[in-house]
Amino acid sequence: MKTLTITMLLLLGSACTILAVDGQEPPVTLETAKVQGRDKSRFLKASRETAKAIDAVPKADVAFFQESVGPILKKSCLACHGPEKSEGRLRIDQLDPDLLTGPDVERWREVFNALSKSEMPPEDAADYKLADADRGRIVDWLSGELNTASVVRRSRQAHSSFRRLTKYEYNYALQDLLGLPYSLASTLPPETASEDGFKNSSELLQMSVMQFESYREIGLKALKRATVIGERPQPVTYFISMQEEMNKAVAKGDAKEPDKNKKPAKRPRNQQQLLNRETGESVPFVAGKTMPRTVPSPDHGVSGQPTSSIASTPAAPPGSGVLVLPRSNELKLDLDRFLPDEGDMRVRIRAGRSTMKPDEYASLRLIFSAHTSNNANFSNVVSERDIPVTASADAPQDIDFNIPLGDIQRNPFRKLTTEFPRRDEFLHIHNVSNAHGGEDPLQVFIETIEITAPFYEQWPPKTHTDIFFESNNKGDEQIYGREVLSRFLRRVWRRPVSDQEVDQFIGLFAKYRPGFATFEEAMVEVLATALATPEFLYLTQRVGTDETQSTARISDLEFASRLSVFLWSSIPDDELLQLAEKGTLREPEVLTAQLKRMLADPRSRRFSQNFVEQWLGLDRMNSVTHVTDSSLREAMLEEPVAFFDEVLRQNHSIMDFIHSDYAMLNERLAAHYGIPKVYGPHFRKVAITPQTNRGGVLTSAAIMTMNSDGKDSHPLKRGVWILKRVLDDPPPPPPPNVPEVDLTDPEILKMTLKERIANHRSKPACISCHAKIDPWGIAFENYDALGAFRTHVKNVPVDASSELFNHQTLAGMDGLKRYLLADRQDQFARAIVHKLSAYALGRPLSFGDRADIDDLTGEFRRREDKLEDLIHLIVSSHLFNSK
Amino acid sequence: MNNKSVLLNRRTFLQGTGVALALPWLETFAVGSQANDATPKRFVSVYHPDGVGLPLKTDPAWEDWSWFPRGGEADFKLTKVLDVLEPLRSDITIYSGLSHPAARSVHGHSNADQYLTGAPVGGEGSYRNSISLDQAYAEHAGDFTRHSSLVMSTNGGVGGPRGAQTQSFNREGRPIPAMNRPKQIFDMLFVTSGKDAAEKLARSKRALDLLVENTRSLNRQLSTRDQETLRQYLDAVRDTELKLAKAQRWIDTPVPQVDTQNLHLDAEPKEARLYFQTMYELIYLAFLSDSTRAATFQLGRENGEGPHDLLSLAVGLNGAHGLTHEVKKPDGWKNLGTYNRYQAEEFGRFAQRLKDTPEPTGKGNMLDNTLAMHGSASSSFHLSRNYPIISAGGKNLGFNNGRYLKFGKGNEDNQAGAGIDTDAGWTGKIEVEELPLAKLFVTILQRLGVETDAFGGSTGTLSRV
Repeated sequence: MKTLTITMLLLLGSACTILAVDGQEPPVTLETAKVQGRDKSRFLKASRETAKAIDAVPKADVAFFQESVGPILKKSCLACHGPEKSEGRLRIDQLDPDLLTGPDVERWREVFNALSKSEMPPEDAADYKLADADRGRIVDWLSGELNTASVVRRSRQAHSSFRRLTKYEYNYALQDLLGLPYSLASTLPPETASEDGFKNSSELLQMSVMQFESYREIGLKALKRATVIGERPQPVTYFISMQEEMNKAVAKGDAKEPDKNKKPAKRPRNQQQLLNRETGESVPFVAGKTMPRTVPSPDHGVSGQPTSSIASTPAAPPGSGVLVLPRSNELKLDLDRFLPDEGDMRVRIRAGRSTMKPDEYASLRLIFSAHTSNNANFSNVVSERDIPVTASADAPQDIDFNIPLGDIQRNPFRKLTTEFPRRDEFLHIHNVSNAHGGEDPLQVFIETIEITAPFYEQWPPKTHTDIFFESNNKGDEQIYGREVLSRFLRRVWRRPVSDQEVDQFIGLFAKYRPGFATFEEAMVEVLATALATPEFLYLTQRVGTDETQSTARISDLEFASRLSVFLWSSIPDDELLQLAEKGTLREPEVLTAQLKRMLADPRSRRFSQNFVEQWLGLDRMNSVTHVTDSSLREAMLEEPVAFFDEVLRQNHSIMDFIHSDYAMLNERLAAHYGIPKVYGPHFRKVAITPQTNRGGVLTSAAIMTMNSDGKDSHPLKRGVWILKRVLDDPPPPPPPNVPEVDLTDPEILKMTLKERIANHRSKPACISCHAKIDPWGIAFENYDALGAFRTHVKNVPVDASSELFNHQTLAGMDGLKRYLLADRQDQFARAIVHKLSAYALGRPLSFGDRADIDDLTGEFRRREDKLEDLIHLIVSSHLFNSK
Repeated sequence: MNNKSVLLNRRTFLQGTGVALALPWLETFAVGSQANDATPKRFVSVYHPDGVGLPLKTDPAWEDWSWFPRGGEADFKLTKVLDVLEPLRSDITIYSGLSHPAARSVHGHSNADQYLTGAPVGGEGSYRNSISLDQAYAEHAGDFTRHSSLVMSTNGGVGGPRGAQTQSFNREGRPIPAMNRPKQIFDMLFVTSGKDAAEKLARSKRALDLLVENTRSLNRQLSTRDQETLRQYLDAVRDTELKLAKAQRWIDTPVPQVDTQNLHLDAEPKEARLYFQTMYELIYLAFLSDSTRAATFQLGRENGEGPHDLLSLAVGLNGAHGLTHEVKKPDGWKNLGTYNRYQAEEFGRFAQRLKDTPEPTGKGNMLDNTLAMHGSASSSFHLSRNYPIISAGGKNLGFNNGRYLKFGKGNEDNQAGAGIDTDAGWTGKIEVEELPLAKLFVTILQRLGVETDAFGGSTGTLSRV
């Protein structure tokens, strides 16, 4: 151990020496850069004041105006915009040069626009011509001051964390409250993202009539789904046994006897067929119309169908007949027209794999379709995710899908009494697989298929008994009604409920009751009203009426809600509520244990998903049209989320986002990156070498793809992206009406991209901003419009080297990463703290929060930048516990 | 939207974005709310499947039975297909060279769904539609009338994806079921009892009362700043109350009495003329009584079969859909043309009836305040290009009629795809330039008073209209 430390120190020492002596020496590895960069941290220095001073509130640069900008303006503008003539009612000499506090920001913006587009001074006014360098000086100063001014004005305003739930939070809250697994809130309008990219930002979460009415509709609909009325409905069941199908086919004489003298004939590799696994006998198979084994009571309106009184699972005849489903094949079942309108359809498929080779996978997907007449057809994927087949064919597994029939596109003609348009509905079972060619490719062997609708695990379903639970008082509607309401309101409002509050709702119930046949129906309407109350829809923070409570601190119950919305995007569960009610939730050991529990809960995956999507701006993938392969698109979107999730679960340093020696990949994405031997659709950690040109999130295919123009890379977008999302240093927005680069100009067409950018930048009005953005983007040039690595573009070697504004040279992506790790760790760490805090609080941060963020960053850096630690730090911070 | 919420939204918007951005936005917000104009603006779209006859110039039938007019913008000449509209010449506009770009290479039978939406619904696989033109208008004008829109078709219901039996789709792109029985439509418009609606309304009112009370008690426990945020919620509840009050007014207001002498409420599609005229009369009465200001009427579904196929019985021909397949048989073009002529005749009769009726508020006649569209999502056989579109009326909305407006390039004589009776047409290459029909929709929406400059993925209006 001792030896190792010494060696490391020696290594470090020598690396530093070499660097100090000669910058041209071969660069250190990225891992070493990580270690060295850490040493430069201001946050880790003894004096914490130094770190803070850097982040002090910006001030207006009036000195530069007095010394440089003012005199130029006087020379070139004053004649027309001064005391003599004040054209456009502009007196340039009377504008306040302090843009941060002065009243003239809007007038300065006009000046900036006119100068940056070279509209002023007029071309014919030769006397007042503005030299390029002078123009550059003014535009440069103005763009900087305007940007600072907008940041300052925004940040000066304090924001409250009091806000309504976002669309996705509301959806999860409803799902968790009612125990419904499906998406319920798709009819709500989408949210707008804040400057920071967050959709949960209090100042943007508005409420409108339409929104309010949607909440009422969605709440009622969800409650009606969670509850049931009357007797258990008799389900429709279909049962298909492949052995039975085989028997039928053999009886018809379709079967091909294997030649007794030879080995059993090889089964066709790409064709669906029935197979007797013992004899090797096979029959080509196309499913015909499948009729239900049982149909519901006669009032369903269907008659003359084969019925059976058995409601339990029928037994398959003995034998070893299976349906062979090769890769990309699907079994299409014609279910005729007997599926009910509502309720879950449970599809249970007993299946196994033909071979167990680890480099092959197969999974099942359900598709629902109808073909009502010529050219009037549809087919939609209805399973939420593909389910892998992992069992061997010798010991097959049951694969269950639950499809909400009321939510999917159905054949609207299924109830016609006439036969046209056609009434049938089809279920396709599709084998999604990577089975390769070769002698014996992986196939799925299906033994039986059982379809039941409506399917209930139990009756009444748990979602119903969670609301209408057993009670000795069930006979008394008043008393039982109070019990139901008390329990429901406590979950909905995330706090204990007073008797008077229950009275209000019981009053409503009393008024509704006569209009309904049953207690439950009337109560569901009352509960729906509770789901439209502001305390369900908003994250409240009450002014403490209790004198003992600090006025600035949120209550334990409010803390529980804030915490669960942060990590689960949803309302707290019973355990959190109980601890909050007892007042122990914020005790350090309790809180630590709860955080561990919350992060271990599958609901915390929503945190990774929503935070990463918003932090990195992955929504922009929605407007990308050049990714045509849907499995690639899905994999691209998943990668950064999976990566964040991994860093969080392993409590790794966030510097891994800049660079890591591993990647989170599935087969599709690995193929896209040219990384071999990754099999299957699930994401997992894969060790990578520098030669793969991956690691971290900067070069993720999604980020490269959304920051492209659809055909090629887009250095400007990439530069803006990294400044805004990763370094939290957003560049000023472009001036209005910037001319597009003229691609019809043959001179411009001849240039390489980098030359084109340089050409554009050479204009004095553009250079100041572009010089700060473009070099960052150029470093990404080795990644094309889909994020694939390239060394050449049209046979010309890629030149990804660039020089930053501060004359730092970046040698491509490797150089960029090295620079960030060596010199910008503090900035990145603080950016992450800032972003995560803004997300956790659900509000934009202001100047008043700076000291807190600095303190958090310092503590975070001392904890070696570990992500899970940061969650703990934020949750325990003054910020997170304050109103 | 009432003024209060507009103001509030503006204020909170300013808080959110910082002062720098605020100024250019003020204007947009100021225009938003438009008072109920005393004279109603109305929109109706009639859709017919299967397109029209489009013989080649070299075909002897071209002279009389090609649907599109001949000649220029003002001096156009109608062929026998549309000459029934000659008396209304100064009140109609005929368009060529318009279509929805996403549908140009999709089989015509799949395309009724997207005629009023412009959505890329495609020809197979998963399906998603978007809001239709009439509903975009109904969102704007629906509050002024008892019914926000009237949705009718000969087949009724919604049909299937790519086999729509309704022209109307809501904001989420879901189809709105069409009514097809005259009696049912009449009862809905002029007989409704509203008992169920009244009960539901009473329940909603009670729920809102509780919500207001509940919100007040929460409000007392919030900081002043947070009260400001919660006020938005309270305003939303109050605005919903206003809407309920309005709905209550409709329930309390007796349904209008109308003259029923032209109605044959038991008419079925096989009695084509009676059925057709009754359906048009119902739209007319709904407009006259200001029961709605937006209506759609789809004559059958694409690909025939069903009630719509019977409509050609009105002119003694069998199987309306079959007519498009049999154009190369003796009298084929003539038969199809005769049926299209009949459709135009009924549309003309409807337009004439609006023209002959003075606007109840006294501003011109009803046609002048109504934009009536008639068209199909295919021209030639299964070909979803160069939609045959007629509009009538709308003088007071800014429509300058009596014109034949050709758009696009390379197809001035409407011969692209002409004379085909095989699928070589719709699968064939797109050789001529057409403009997005949605541009016309933007023009229509703007003239109806809807603030928008985009529809169905297309931006901007159609010049010259």
